[in-house]
Amino acid sequence: MVTHEDVLAIARLSKLYISDEELDEMTKAMDDIIKFADTINNAAEEGVEFDNINNLSNAFREDEIVPSYDREEILKNANDIDEGHFLVRKRV
Amino acid sequence: MAEGKIKYYSKMLETKEISCSELTESFLTAIENANSDLNAYVKVTPETAMETAKAVDEKIARGEKLAPLEGIPMTLKDNISTKEIETTCCSKILGGYKPIYNATVWETLSASNAVLLGKTNMDEFAMGSSSETSCFGGASNPHNIDHVAGGSSGGVASAVGGNIAVYGLGSDTGGSIRQPASFCGIVGLKPTYGAVSRFGLIAYASSFDQIGPITTTVEDVAIVFDAISEYDKMDSTSQGRKGEPTVNSLKNDIKGMRIGIPREYLDGIKDEVRLAVENACEVYRSLGAEIVYFDLPALKYALPVYYILACAEASSNLGRYDGIRYGYRTESYKDVNEMICKTRSEGFGAEVKRRILLGTYVLSAGYYDAYYKKAQNLRGSIVNAFKNAFQNCDVILAPTVPMTAFEKGNAISDPIETYLTDICTVPVNIAGLPGVSVPCGFDGKGLPIGMQLIGNTFCESRILNAAWQFENAVGSEVFKSSKYGVKI
Repeated sequence: MVTHEDVLAIARLSKLYISDEELDEMTKAMDDIIKFADTINNAAEEGVEFDNINNLSNAFREDEIVPSYDREEILKNANDIDEGHFLVRKRV
Repeated sequence: MAEGKIKYYSKMLETKEISCSELTESFLTAIENANSDLNAYVKVTPETAMETAKAVDEKIARGEKLAPLEGIPMTLKDNISTKEIETTCCSKILGGYKPIYNATVWETLSASNAVLLGKTNMDEFAMGSSSETSCFGGASNPHNIDHVAGGSSGGVASAVGGNIAVYGLGSDTGGSIRQPASFCGIVGLKPTYGAVSRFGLIAYASSFDQIGPITTTVEDVAIVFDAISEYDKMDSTSQGRKGEPTVNSLKNDIKGMRIGIPREYLDGIKDEVRLAVENACEVYRSLGAEIVYFDLPALKYALPVYYILACAEASSNLGRYDGIRYGYRTESYKDVNEMICKTRSEGFGAEVKRRILLGTYVLSAGYYDAYYKKAQNLRGSIVNAFKNAFQNCDVILAPTVPMTAFEKGNAISDPIETYLTDICTVPVNIAGLPGVSVPCGFDGKGLPIGMQLIGNTFCESRILNAAWQFENAVGSEVFKSSKYGVKI
């Protein structure tokens, strides 16, 4: 059974606020989904170890040094920048 | 309808029956007329499109030969990065975000002058089955606009099905290419994991995500797949297509091909869908293929395994949205932590929050072994089950979705009910296999039914061959043009 407290604790880890209005609905949805997810624990088989898809290994290649993106370009999408850095202003 | 649109338009361009600028203009006009009904496009890019069209016309005037996709008007799902063109994943949190690089698939296509008409609608961060979790509202089904186009690549399917794009690229994490293709009566290919580069695809669940084409015919899907399935050094899981271009083997004889049907896929599906798939079996028998039924019990756990693992990966992938480097940021806050929490709470929609919470839950101490680890092990069982199945058959045939397109508004009211619609599509993503959805009939309301052909890894040629033969045999019986779009 997923409780309000569980949802709030998980929300804290996820960096999400759940408002009082959202809490009941989210708790019920989470409880339904977890119950549904629980069906895998009825599986008789333990399964087999799975570490990657299609038995792929990483496609390794030589590390080549190539120019990276321009700093100005990267900063273009930021809300607030200062002297070539991302900026988070302190607000009260 | 075995003759594809891509070759058709390409020939018109080469014989100067129409200029690329004229063709592009007719698509842009059709978008203007149809988009208020379809809501397929969330951003139209007329300047980019006309600029490319002009370059193609100049090339034609110089007498140069065109590449297969050159000058063909197309669209991209809004989670595929396009340099300097807003890419939002249809989420408020990425509002205003303009990538500084192109996804490799778009880099490849734009290098051969593909004409980008615009970016298309999708469920927020590709999380959904109806496109209704989009912050721009859902896309409509071109066969009946009171019904959804499906999801998450609903905008691409609506645009292609509604003739306001010749083809489009979508992404498929749990069925997001095949399901909307099925709902809109068109063709959608989810390639083998690793066949198409994911570089520049905004991540939902990285071990499942795969980019693929949505088109009106099998020939078109093969042409686009061949063009984008190159090895890419920017994606560490990229391998590229194995073997010859798939267009070379489309018309091969399928006499003696063993087509397997796992009985589990036929459980709980609507009668009309089952009937259409059974009719398809008859068509295949008449073409000389052999139909074999078998059991695939591991499929029983596919859906919870998918939701546990995909949400776990999503909760980690979506950790990057903090309001600092790009996208939306909340107005007022006391400190950094509050800024991040408020930004995420205001920027993400309800379904995305649900999946982040579920993912965080199954990864948290105390629950990791019972959910995440167990699901990973069952993923291993499912991979092995498919491997064994392909010892006894060449391709697998199954319904794409247990039903036809639902009415708008029904999908978002009950999350579990909506998740159940993905039951036939998720196994392919779990096992990294290729799957193509092709139209195979209509229900009593005139809504399209789709079936999927599933192949072993890197066997796109084989499933497209089987798909082409079916399409060629039934022709216009399964293809009905919508009233929308370009009629050239």
